[in-house]
Amino acid sequence: METNYETIVIGGGVVGSGIAYHLSERYKEGVLVLDKKYPMSGTSGSTQAWVWVHNKTPSWYAEFSMYSAELYPYLSKKIGDVEYKRTGGLSPFFNESDREKAEKLAESYRKIGIKIKVLSREEVLEKEPYMNPEVAGATYSSIDGNVNPFRLIDMYMRAAKRNGVRYSTYNKVTEIKKHDGKYAVVSDNGAFECKNLILAGGTWSREIGDMLGVKIPVNQLRGQILVSEPLKPFLNFTISGLRQANNGEVLMGYSMEEAGFNRATTLDVIQETANMAVQYVPGLRKAKIVRAFSGIRAMPEDGFPILGKVPGHENLYVAATHSGVTLSPLIGTLITELIMDGETSIPIDRYSLSRFG
Amino acid sequence: MDKTTIICRCEEISCEEVEEVISNGGRTFDDVKRITRCGMGPCQAKICTSMVAEIIHQQTGLSLSEIPLPRMRMPLSPIKLETLATNSTSFSAVKSVLDDVEIEEGKVR
Ligand SMILES: Cc1cc2nc3c(=O)[nH]c(=O)nc-3n(C[C@H](O)[C@H](O)[C@H](O)COP(=O)(O)OP(=O)(O)OC[C@H]3O[C@@H](n4cnc5c(N)ncnc54)[C@H](O)[C@@H]3O)c2cc1C
Ligand code: FES
Repeated sequence: METNYETIVIGGGVVGSGIAYHLSERYKEGVLVLDKKYPMSGTSGSTQAWVWVHNKTPSWYAEFSMYSAELYPYLSKKIGDVEYKRTGGLSPFFNESDREKAEKLAESYRKIGIKIKVLSREEVLEKEPYMNPEVAGATYSSIDGNVNPFRLIDMYMRAAKRNGVRYSTYNKVTEIKKHDGKYAVVSDNGAFECKNLILAGGTWSREIGDMLGVKIPVNQLRGQILVSEPLKPFLNFTISGLRQANNGEVLMGYSMEEAGFNRATTLDVIQETANMAVQYVPGLRKAKIVRAFSGIRAMPEDGFPILGKVPGHENLYVAATHSGVTLSPLIGTLITELIMDGETSIPIDRYSLSRFG
Repeated sequence: MDKTTIICRCEEISCEEVEEVISNGGRTFDDVKRITRCGMGPCQAKICTSMVAEIIHQQTGLSLSEIPLPRMRMPLSPIKLETLATNSTSFSAVKSVLDDVEIEEGKVR
């Protein structure tokens, strides 16, 4: 296998493969993606995969997410059907007291071009007839949707490979050295050399950073999901909490726990998730659950994406974030611009690693 | 087994589709599962596990003992959601996205 590359990407999840694909649109040779397992074995294979915008905070982060969501229709034209659906997103609330907050959100976000409607109980039930009639209201935006994360990564990989990107899977990076202005990347299956190095190791970013003496403050945050048997299509929207996939399965869950790298599913969170699901959509009571899974989010210490150049290290880049499914087309676009043009079309300074000092 | 042999009856996945994942660098049942849905059907891989392992063995030369079994996830057989629910509406690990929205001086933070 060729050992010399222009650019190496460590990590082939939705973030790393998104970058590799976007890079391959601009130059055809010399990109290698290394993954310690097969892409999708990390967080990108155990996600809800909402492409979610409307109630992200603060507003500049919602705006950033919106630009990425806007790229999805074009992306699926380019790489093939990734089952992206702009269903619209619905966030229900059950206490009338939340309405004021919802109105404030809608008012602030109108200014940045994210249209949010605050729905009455009747309006919610008209849109989503299976929602609990005890719902007080919901925020709604047409910008939100969801995607099939497996198809997304598979299509990124196929398109990238067609453009000349190489993948080396089941090949863990164990050591990174810098010499003569190049990076030597040592892996289980040998050493590689490159000019540009991109760290896209997701929840493992901290340990990869350590190999270069760079602190990437990313922590672990577990989430657990329940999956139903395929049901006839009955949910119209991506509801923040649950969604129905193309094949009829309902994916339920929005939980956060600090449990390190432990990917177990646990009865307490499964029960809470079941309680949430029946509170939102009581008709799910009789639905059979066929699977539960958990995933470990990459959670930067301050909750926001870490993107861009690594200060003090020439040609070294990092992309580590939660909500990586939502953000992957934009991250791929921006990191490619940074490498090819030296600057980005929209500013990403606030996402720099340098903010952690 | 020829190319069109159905390996996963629940999801109708053929031998050829499983082989493609392995030739693209996959090595485990879970790799095959994530890409093809092989093993995600109602029987939750009870029927197709051994045939997939055999294909991985043939294509990669890994011995059967080196090929990890699919990760078995609760519940092992389908169970009604209401059986899992305890009907409580107080949540700790489970969140609502609106909880994350904070209002400060009449504005979204
Ligand atoms: C339960 C749950 C629900 C979620 N819901 C959503 C959602 O609705 N919408 C959304 O946008 N996001 C969601 N997320 C977050 C989203 O899934 C992640 O942000 C995204 O998958 C991260 O992608 P990634 O490529 O950075 O990470 P990963 O997919 O984990 O990729 C990192 C890769 O790096 C590889 N790697 C690590 N170390 C090494 C090494 N030393 N050498 C070689 N390779 C290495 C790993 O094998 C892995 O494949 C959710 C996450 C969870 C857990
Ligand atoms: S035969 Fe594969 S899941 Fe049932």
